[in-house]
Amino acid sequence: MRIRLRASAAASALAVGSLVAILVLSLAGSAGASSKSYPRSQTLITSGTQWGNIAGFNPFAGSYAAGMIGLNLETLLRYDPIKDKYINWLAKSAKWTGNKQFTIVVRPGVKWSNGKPFTTADVRFNLKLLRFGTSAWHNLYLNFKSIATKGNTVVIRFKGTPNYVQWQNALWNIPMISPLQGKVITSAQALTTYNPTNPIGTGPYKLDPTGFDPTTRVVWVNTGKWWAAKQGLEPMPKPKYIIDLVNTSNTNSLNAVLQGVEDLNNNFLPGVDKLVQQHKVLTYYKKAPYMLSANTAWLEPNTAHKPLNDPVFRRALAMALQPGLYAKQAEGNLVLPAKSTGLLPTWAKYNNKAAITKYGFKHNEAAAKKLLQKHGYTMSGGHFLNKNGSAINLSIMVPQGWSDWETARDMIIAHAAAAGIKLHAVVGSQNAWISARGTGNFDLALDNHWQISDNPWTYWNGIFHLPILTTGTGQVNFNFERYTNQKAWSLVKKLDKTPLTQTGTIKRINTQLQTILMKQLPVIPLWYNGQWAQFTSQHWTNWPAAKTSRQYTPVMWGGYLQMTGIDMIAHLKPVK
Amino acid sequence: MLRYFARKLFVYGLTFIVAVTVDWAIPHLMPGNPVLALMSRIQAQDPQVSQTMYHHYMRAFNLDLPLWKQYGYFWVSLAHGDLGTSIVQFPTPVSSIILHAAPYTLALLLPAILLSWYAGNKVGALAARRKVLDNSALPLSYALTATPYMWLAILLSWTLAVTWRVFPVGFAYDPTAIRTLSWTFVGNLAYHWFLPFLSLFLVAFGGWAIGMRNMIIYELESDYAHYLGALGAPQRLVRKYAFRNAVLPQVTGLALALGAILSGALVTEIVFSYPGLGFQIYNAITNQDYFVIQGIFLFIIIGVLVANFIIDIVYLIVDPRTRIGMEGGRS
Repeated sequence: MRIRLRASAAASALAVGSLVAILVLSLAGSAGASSKSYPRSQTLITSGTQWGNIAGFNPFAGSYAAGMIGLNLETLLRYDPIKDKYINWLAKSAKWTGNKQFTIVVRPGVKWSNGKPFTTADVRFNLKLLRFGTSAWHNLYLNFKSIATKGNTVVIRFKGTPNYVQWQNALWNIPMISPLQGKVITSAQALTTYNPTNPIGTGPYKLDPTGFDPTTRVVWVNTGKWWAAKQGLEPMPKPKYIIDLVNTSNTNSLNAVLQGVEDLNNNFLPGVDKLVQQHKVLTYYKKAPYMLSANTAWLEPNTAHKPLNDPVFRRALAMALQPGLYAKQAEGNLVLPAKSTGLLPTWAKYNNKAAITKYGFKHNEAAAKKLLQKHGYTMSGGHFLNKNGSAINLSIMVPQGWSDWETARDMIIAHAAAAGIKLHAVVGSQNAWISARGTGNFDLALDNHWQISDNPWTYWNGIFHLPILTTGTGQVNFNFERYTNQKAWSLVKKLDKTPLTQTGTIKRINTQLQTILMKQLPVIPLWYNGQWAQFTSQHWTNWPAAKTSRQYTPVMWGGYLQMTGIDMIAHLKPVK
Repeated sequence: MLRYFARKLFVYGLTFIVAVTVDWAIPHLMPGNPVLALMSRIQAQDPQVSQTMYHHYMRAFNLDLPLWKQYGYFWVSLAHGDLGTSIVQFPTPVSSIILHAAPYTLALLLPAILLSWYAGNKVGALAARRKVLDNSALPLSYALTATPYMWLAILLSWTLAVTWRVFPVGFAYDPTAIRTLSWTFVGNLAYHWFLPFLSLFLVAFGGWAIGMRNMIIYELESDYAHYLGALGAPQRLVRKYAFRNAVLPQVTGLALALGAILSGALVTEIVFSYPGLGFQIYNAITNQDYFVIQGIFLFIIIGVLVANFIIDIVYLIVDPRTRIGMEGGRS
């Protein structure tokens, strides 16, 4: 008996030990690298872009690995939103050489990471990828008449009046992929499934395939042969490795930053203002608002629902709100309250002060009540009723778990109640919120769909786009408030078709559009969501900062590296 | 014996069909549309382009079909061993996501289940006959078994990782670690593995210890134990027989507890950002990635059913009465 029991115990221990050993060894996975870890003093660790698993390396999909465009792939132009200027990049120059003709001069001396030169044929190849219906820029391709190459130039001729604004925007957003890898894209479907295991790019970094783990991180390795450094446009980036970690939670992120595990984190972390004051982290500004602006957060009324279809009611609701408080309390004093136009600070030159003074909304509960009463809304039990006497009790939706927005939502409900407007919260996941927004199954929602760009057209297009799609899924990306204003839509189209040199016309159109927005309030701008960025100087210094020569976008998010995010990387200096 | 296994297989087969159907239905009945979420990340400037892309993805995932057809296609694909493609990580196959994540979960689960069962039973048996141990281990075991897995995980993470920084906060290895087949990397894995393992082990250990302690006391008070004692058998022998009888319900309990421990492992992984199946499910549910949710739950369903089946067989081996009963039945 004793022998059997001992044998059984030994067997259990052996079994457990073996299992652990086998499984741990299986996790060790791919062997190959010689050293044991990436040297910390040469490694920049970032996070805040990738939620969930890293989708892969398809630059045409919405969620590619952080750094895919910017570190590895590059664009013809870049855009500096702080200085509001374009930067010629893979294109030595890119300009209109006729009303319907655009000429790109390809920069000499640029090479792919496989050593091949970057040529006009490569540009042509990439522009021709727009022919597929699953390309985000397919509508531009439909207006192409021809793409011709001669010497080091690529000439694009358009059939009709070009969409000047969209085209300019596309130039700094379309990634240049290597035709050697991209040749597999022969259909609309292939464009969506394209996913090279080791992407070839022209940028300063290439993928370390052995370090890539979709559940944890992507590792980029400095090629040491960046054309931009050779040509004196940028310093050669100092980090030998850039590791971007998958997001886990805001709490973990905060710990990781404070413990020096991460050098740069691009999440919204409440309480960062205090950490800055305690010199534990750095931000772009040393004082409020601490962060650069990324997009406009607005209250989105469903104008297909009563009484939100009434601009008077929307105005009264806007007057009940206190954007300054939301910026200070809900957003932790990290952002700026929005102007009534909602135009981001980078577009400040388009703000028309006279129009804002005349049509902008200001917090005034009493005036909000008076306005509603003047227009036939009556009160019962402290709350306004619909004009037909029915009760008003509008729902307001934000994605569950977005704590700052949830706080703002509760404040909005309280402030609206003070003006006699009854709102109630609807709790739903982010996907439920997206779905409700798309199908129109909501009354009010907080939203920030359109990011900073080179032209306020993207902002206006997101708000005023027509037609409102009522079949299938309804709206995807545009006009979630379901607001119909043909005049505004005509102005948006006109703006898109106005050459960028016609600054007077552009300003006039913007004035007209912001006047319509402030008078009609199809959306109610609240605050400017930040380019969340907190960094530490434990391993790297020379971070972007206001009032210095390093005024760069300090984020790794998709679309931001080809702004001036890459400048941030290039100017970092190691501590040791 | 054959009849016994045939009946068991029938029950398992039926359970599988029902469980897999529920597994398919729940994600599809969740509010929201995963393709809309996918589309919201691609900011095309033209709605017609957005619509084209939307319909392309809906077709690619068969989500444009009526639900009954989607259900049919699901079984057809399953019969071909195809678990589908992730919506969020398109075009990554779900099977590769599972293959990547499963070792992490198994590395947590198997040692936690086996060691907690073994250690819990040993300590429980000891506690039943040692007053000092009974007074200390019993309340502790009650506290441990009543602790939700997630809560203990948060507690351990907060104290040992965040505050005292003895262990890492998350992930399966250090961000700067290079994945090589080396002892350094294995040590790194073990370092990150320890806290999630400990969370699971402690909660399960408490349950087994209490169960065994109570069973041993019951067995020692039974007639056969008293009779054996009266015959002059040494106490050590009596306790051994008591242990052998007491362990049988614990084997049954193991089968019943598998689901609970597994769900514990899933939430524990979320707390520690440990990239196993639980963390993947969390991500998939957050992003409504239907096929990943289905695939991982399918893997879990099969795992639990197989484990239960193995325990059924083990029960036949360790309990001669069942074996003899079946053989008698046949004769």
